[in-house]
Amino acid sequence: MDANTVLLAVVIVTALSFDFTNGFHDTANAMATSIATGALRPKVAVALSAVLNFAGAFLSLKVAATIATGIVDTGAITLTVVFAGLVGGLAWNLLTWYFGIPSSSSHALIGGVVGATLIAAGASAVKGAAVVSKVLVPAVLAPLAAILVATAGTYLVYALTKNVPEGTRGRGFRFGQIGSASLVSLAHGTNDAQKTMGIITLAMIANGTIGKDQGTPFWVIAACAIAISLGTYLGGWRVIRTLGKGLTEIETPQGFAAESSSAAVIFASSHFGFPLSTTHVCTGSVIGSGLGKRLAEVRWSVAARMVAAWLITLPAAAAVGAVAWAGANGIGGATGVSIVFVIGLLLAGALYMASRRKPVHAGNVNDEWTGRPAKVKESVA
Amino acid sequence: MNDYIDLDALWRVMVASLVAGAGLAAVFSLALVGLSSGRPAGKVGAAACFLVVAAGIVLGLYVMLAK
Repeated sequence: MDANTVLLAVVIVTALSFDFTNGFHDTANAMATSIATGALRPKVAVALSAVLNFAGAFLSLKVAATIATGIVDTGAITLTVVFAGLVGGLAWNLLTWYFGIPSSSSHALIGGVVGATLIAAGASAVKGAAVVSKVLVPAVLAPLAAILVATAGTYLVYALTKNVPEGTRGRGFRFGQIGSASLVSLAHGTNDAQKTMGIITLAMIANGTIGKDQGTPFWVIAACAIAISLGTYLGGWRVIRTLGKGLTEIETPQGFAAESSSAAVIFASSHFGFPLSTTHVCTGSVIGSGLGKRLAEVRWSVAARMVAAWLITLPAAAAVGAVAWAGANGIGGATGVSIVFVIGLLLAGALYMASRRKPVHAGNVNDEWTGRPAKVKESVA
Repeated sequence: MNDYIDLDALWRVMVASLVAGAGLAAVFSLALVGLSSGRPAGKVGAAACFLVVAAGIVLGLYVMLAK
């Protein structure tokens, strides 16, 4: 095995790891409300979402070229830049997971790639206007659009079913909520697994392993589908807790309205080519479902923390991406990339160990909200 | 057309998601109202509502996947 093959292998493993964290970070988007309302038992919810993500990954007929196209100069993209970008995205995904903040995996990845490109090829290789129009503006609009749709939906749902007996109402919306959450999972698999497939394909083309016009090899599609669904099944319980319990207390009709809104906004934006982040949409929907029900409380301090995290996603991931590129490039070649990979692995392991001190899991994900993703002191057996 | 916001795509997204998100949720609610009314007409109306929702989902999946 020569150095190039090693380099490509490390990039592919990193891309699949990113796909995995994308899965567990985003389980919350589809399933947090169903778990919070008790429509599905936690383990069943993540299993269902995992299966649908897997199916969704295979449904994508055309693999999106690459996530970074149009944002950085294609000429500036080398394997090392792709690798460093992935490391930046991974780092941000893990950190926000630890703090239980739903944040966009795509933005983290874009941030990582932008940071690596900035230091590798200079500011001229980054298309500033594209960053604003494709990343920053949608980041503001996505939650607002979802809030609007979910508020309207929640209001209508409550107004229309005012006189429906509790039994029919509860059962009906429980069913509807599971259905709409399933659509969100499917859409997630389709849209997000594609991004990783695109990156791996790009890396293989850059390395000359496959020709420019060749499609994505089947094993890449399968590997991405498996990685994202395994991640989803593992469940990012910390994020699920924040989204399901932290923002507002959700009842079944609200959960139904929120998921319908998320599914509609995601489908529409993907069809009309307006790049909205699934995470931002789902968070907006949950807030909207709180606003649409009279007297429901939205914890704006939790929402504000999320928005703050979204704002620093790009620069933070970019910083990690830049450092990762500098490290890998400074040492040089496959050795450099491998060393950075191992360092990243150790840091991720440390973060995982830290999370074990106050774990959030299927058993305590629905505990009463105490202001933090994990319960602070009161240790419940 | 604005350089930073694709207004054209944005308003389409808004209209489509309001119709599909809030609209279909409302239709689904009407189905529950029909079901609980206990009258045959209510049942028929509910069935029609469920059909509309199902058609909306199929259409949504179709337009998203057939890019």
